[in-house]
Amino acid sequence: MSTLTLRGVRKSFGLLEVLHNVDLELEDGGFLVLLGPSGCGKSTLLSIIAGLEPASGGDVLIGERVVNDVHPKDRNIAMVFQSYALYPTMTVERNMGFGLEMRGVPTAERDGKVLDAARLLQVEHLLARKPGQLSGGQRQRVAMGRAIVRDPELFLFDEPLSNLDAKLRVEMRTEIKRLHDRLGTTVVYVTHDQVEAMTLGTRVAVMREGVIQQLADPQTIYDRPANMFVAGFIGSPAMNFISGVLEAGPGGPAFVYEAGRLRLSLPEPAMPRGVAMGRPVILGTRPEHLTLGSGSAARLSGTIDVVEPTGPDTMVVAMIGGQPVTARLPPRVALRPGEPVELAVDTSALNFFDPESGERL
Amino acid sequence: MISPIDRRTVLKWGGGMLGASALMPRLAFGQQTSINYWHTFTSQSEFAGLEAVMAQFASAHPDINVIQENIPNPEFMAKITAAVVGGGRPDVTMVASERFADLRAMGALVDLTDRIASWERRGDFEDARFASITSEDGAVYGVPAFAFVDWMYYRKDWFDEAGLSAPTTLDEMLVAAQTLTDPAKGRYGFGMRGGAGGQAFVVNLMEAFGSPVLSNGEIGLDRDRAIEAVRWYAGLLTEHGVVPPSAPNDGFRQIMEAFQTGQTAMVWHHTGSFRDISGFLEPGVEFATAPIPAGPAARVARLGYAYNAMSSDANADAAWEWIKFWGEPDAAVALLEATGYFPASTVAAQDERISGNPLYAPAAETLGFGLPQPSFPGFAGWSESVVLPAFQRVLIGDATPEQAVDEMIDGLAAAVG
Amino acid sequence: MSRTFLPAPYGPPRTVWDRINPVRLIGELSETRYWMYLLLLPSALLITAVVLYPTLYGMQMSFREMRLNRPDLGTGFVGLRHYERMLSDPVFWVSLRNTAVWVTFSIVIEFVVGLIAALALNRNLPGTKVLAVLILLPYFLPNVVAGHMWALMLDPRLGVINDLLVRIGLLEGYKAWFADPGTAMAAAIVVEAWHSFPFFTLLLLAGLKGIPTDLYKAADIDGAGPFAQLRLITLPMLRTIIAAAVILRVIGLVNSPDLLLILTSGGPGRSTQVLSLYAFQTAYRDFNFGYAGALSVVMFVFLMVFAWAYIRITKVNQE
Repeated sequence: MSTLTLRGVRKSFGLLEVLHNVDLELEDGGFLVLLGPSGCGKSTLLSIIAGLEPASGGDVLIGERVVNDVHPKDRNIAMVFQSYALYPTMTVERNMGFGLEMRGVPTAERDGKVLDAARLLQVEHLLARKPGQLSGGQRQRVAMGRAIVRDPELFLFDEPLSNLDAKLRVEMRTEIKRLHDRLGTTVVYVTHDQVEAMTLGTRVAVMREGVIQQLADPQTIYDRPANMFVAGFIGSPAMNFISGVLEAGPGGPAFVYEAGRLRLSLPEPAMPRGVAMGRPVILGTRPEHLTLGSGSAARLSGTIDVVEPTGPDTMVVAMIGGQPVTARLPPRVALRPGEPVELAVDTSALNFFDPESGERL
Repeated sequence: MISPIDRRTVLKWGGGMLGASALMPRLAFGQQTSINYWHTFTSQSEFAGLEAVMAQFASAHPDINVIQENIPNPEFMAKITAAVVGGGRPDVTMVASERFADLRAMGALVDLTDRIASWERRGDFEDARFASITSEDGAVYGVPAFAFVDWMYYRKDWFDEAGLSAPTTLDEMLVAAQTLTDPAKGRYGFGMRGGAGGQAFVVNLMEAFGSPVLSNGEIGLDRDRAIEAVRWYAGLLTEHGVVPPSAPNDGFRQIMEAFQTGQTAMVWHHTGSFRDISGFLEPGVEFATAPIPAGPAARVARLGYAYNAMSSDANADAAWEWIKFWGEPDAAVALLEATGYFPASTVAAQDERISGNPLYAPAAETLGFGLPQPSFPGFAGWSESVVLPAFQRVLIGDATPEQAVDEMIDGLAAAVG
Repeated sequence: MSRTFLPAPYGPPRTVWDRINPVRLIGELSETRYWMYLLLLPSALLITAVVLYPTLYGMQMSFREMRLNRPDLGTGFVGLRHYERMLSDPVFWVSLRNTAVWVTFSIVIEFVVGLIAALALNRNLPGTKVLAVLILLPYFLPNVVAGHMWALMLDPRLGVINDLLVRIGLLEGYKAWFADPGTAMAAAIVVEAWHSFPFFTLLLLAGLKGIPTDLYKAADIDGAGPFAQLRLITLPMLRTIIAAAVILRVIGLVNSPDLLLILTSGGPGRSTQVLSLYAFQTAYRDFNFGYAGALSVVMFVFLMVFAWAYIRITKVNQE
C-alpha cells in the first residue's frame, strides 16, 4: 500500500499532446477513478503510471519513490486489463501465479498464495482450466486474482468491466468495492462509466482532452461540478442548462431568460458570489431538483415535449425558453405533450456557469 | 495418359480438311498458318542468328507465321516428355543428335523419310549428315540445321609468349597447360567443364584412350582404358592443378566466362561460341582455334548436328517449309555469321565467306576426322546421371577412378538392360 | 411463424402427380439423411478427378515397368521390383541422407530468421512498411530466378560474395562454393533459406498480429523478460501457425528439386543429390517413370509419416 503522486505529467505523440501537465495526489488506500470519454487520455495516464509507456515529462511517484525510469515489473504494481490479458496457453493456476513465478517465489509459497486469492474470488474450482474454458465473469475474477496474488502497492484497473454484460457488470462492481474495502490497497481505476466512478471512487478525476477537469470526491463532483463539461458528463439524465442573464429586479434578484420575457426569482443565498448583475450566465439544474407545482416563487414555465416513464420516476422533457429541460418527476404524473407546465426549482442546488469559459461561477 | 484427341482423330480431321480445302477456292487459304518452334538457343548471338533466319523465312513465306519458343537445354527433355505424354507438342522442334534415340523411342517425332527423299536440296547434304537422325530401320526424322564441330579455343597471345604452339596430342596439351598455369595470377591452363554438360568430354576421353562406349553396335566399356582416361582427365585438377578449382561445378557459362576474362588458356567447345568469344578477345591475335588434341588411341572430336524435326503433324506442310528452309545456303550463312555455327550443307560450307577465313580451317579439318556422338536409347540419361556424377566424385576425391568407372559400367548395364 | 423451425412435412403421396412431381420428389429427398451425401457428391467427384486419380495413377506407375525410351520393354506390372532396387541403390540412400540434411537445416534457418524478421516487423516502428516489402522480396522471386541469381553471386570468378569475403579478409582467395563437397550443400541451404524465410515471416507476422498486446503488457508487469515472453507467450500463441508453416515448408522442400537443379544438379559427385532431384532426373533424364514413381511414392510416405508424427508430437490439434 502506498500513495501515488503525479507531478506535471505530460505525454505527446509527435506534435499531438495527449496529456497536459497532470498533477494528482492519491492518499494511501485511496480509490482514484479516472473518468472521461474515450480519447481523453485516461488510459494513457494509466499506462504511464504502470510504466508501460514513458511520459514525455513530469514525475510519477509511488510512495516516496520516483519511478519514472523504473521498469513496470519493479514498480510493485498489478494491473487488470479490459481484455483480462490472461495467458491463453497457461492454466488459471499458472496465470495467477505467473508474477510470483517470474520473481522466483518458491512453488509451495506460490501455490498457497494462489489458493488464497482463488478462494477469495471463488475461483478455486477453476484452477486447472485454461482461460478459453472460462466465462467472461470468471475470466474477470481470475484477472483480479492474478493482481491480488502479487500483493502490490498499487492496483491498476483499465476499464475492467466494460466487456461484461450489464448484470454481471453490476455484480463485479460490487465485488471490486468489497475487495477494496477488504484489502485496502491503493487503486487507480480507469472507466468511462460514471456509475462505476460514483460508486467505487474515493476520488474521481474527470478528464477531457488530456486535462483533469476536476479532481474531487464523487459527491462534490456531482453537486458542485467545476465546469459545464463535468456537469454534463456526470448524471443521467444530464444536468439542464438554460442561458439567461442575472438581474436585480424589484422583487429581488432574478435569472431572466428567453430574451427577458421570463424570469426566475432567486433568493439571495442561491446567487453566485461575486457576479455582477446584468451579466449573461448559464444556469444549471439537475432533473431531480425540478418538481411540479406553481406554489414556489422560483419557477420555470414551458411546454411539455416528451413524457418518459421509467418505473420509479417519470422523465418529463419540457421546452423552456426554447431549450429542452428534463425533470425527474414521481411516477404516474398526468401530463401530456403540448400542455403548459410549471416546474418549481430547488434553488439551494443551482449551478451557474460562465457562458464563455464554461467555468463554474 | 489421357489425350482426348488422339493422333488418329487428328489425322482424320486433318485429312478431311485437306480434302475439303482442295475443293475450296485458293482465296480461303490467304490467312497465315502459325507453327510453334521449340529450340534451345540461349545466347544473344544465337538469338540474333535465329532472328536472321526467321526474317528470311518470313519474306519467303509470308503465309506462315513461326512462333519461336526458347526451351533452356536442361529443361528440354522434361518439357518435351511432358508435351508428348500430356499434349501440347510443338509443330517443329530442334533435336540435338544425342537426344534423337530417346525422342524417337518415346514417339515424339514424325517420320519425314518421304518428304526428305523428294526434297530439292537433299543433294546439298552428304548422307552422313543424316546418320544421327535416322533410325535403325532406315526412317529419317529431321533435316540438319547446322553442325556442332568440336574444337579448341586457345590464348594465342599467351602461347606465343611462352613459345608454345597449339597442342596436337593430349600430352602436349598437358605440358602447355602446366606451362601456362599460374594460380597466383589466377591463371589456369585449361577450362574443364566438370559441371552440367561435362559428361560429353568424359565419354570422348574414354574413347580417345581406347574405350568407346559404342563400337560396332556393341555397348560397353573397356574398364582399364576407361580408368586410364578418367585418371588422366581428373588428374588435370587433382594431380596437376592446371584447371580452376571450381571445375566440378563449371558448366558452359563458367568455362566461357573464365576463358573470355583471361583466367584459362584453353577451352574445348564447338564452333558455336566463336562469335561470343570474339566479342571479348580479338580473333587471330588474342585467341585462335585448333582441332581437339589426339589421345593415345584416337582423336575424338564430335560432329554433332542440330536437326529440325516435326513433332506434331497438325500443320505438316507449313512445318516442313520451315524445317527445310534451314538447308538454304543463305539461311545457313546468316546463322554462321551471327553465331559461328557451321553449316551442315556442303554447298553452304563452300561459300566464300567460310572457306576464305583461316580461323575456320580447324573446323574444316575436324569435319574430316570428326565422329558422331554415340547414340542409343538411354545413352543421354546414363552419361548425364551416371558418368558426370561419378567423374565429379573423382574430381572431389570422393571416389577413385576405378570406383567411378565401375559405377559407370553398372549404370550402363542398368540403362540399357 | 409457428412452423418455421420445422421442416415442411411431406405426407404420404395422395395423387399420381404427387408420385412423379419432381419438386416434391426433391423435397422429399432433401428430408432424408442421404441428402447431405448428395450435396457433397459434386465436390467429391471433383476431388477424385483432380487429386485422387493422379495420385493413384502415379502410385500404380511405381509397380510397372515404364521406360519411355524403351518401348520394347512394355509397361507390364513388375510388383515390388522398383522398391527392391531402391534398397540396394546407393544413390537412393545418399539422396535420402542429403534430403534429411537439406530439409532439417533449411527449416531451422528459415524458421529462426523468419521469426526474427517477423518480430522486428511487428514492432511498427517507422519504416517497417518499406522494410516489410524488402524482406518479403526474395519470396516473390521464382526459384529459378533466385537460383541463377545466387549462382552468379557465388560464382568463383565473378561472384560478388567472394569479392566481399576477400575484401573483409574472411577468405584468402575466391572460393568455388558449389564445386567443393564440403560447402556445396551448405551454400545451397543458405540460398534456400534466403529465398524462403519470408514464407515464415509472412505467416508468423500474421500470427503475431493476432496476439493481443495486452498480453505483453501483463507480462511486463508480471516481470517476464523478452526471452520469457517469447518462450511463454509468443511461441505458444503461434504454435498452430508454426506447425502449419513447418509442414507446408517441409513438403515444399522435400518435393521441389528446382533450386538444387540449378545450383548444383546434385553435384559435385552426389553431395547435394536429394530425393526429389533424383526422382526428377530418373523420370526426365533416364525416362524411367516406373522407378521415378517408386521414388515419389517413398517421398509421399515419408511426408505422410512426418506430418502425422509432427502433429502428434506438437499436439497442435489438441486445443
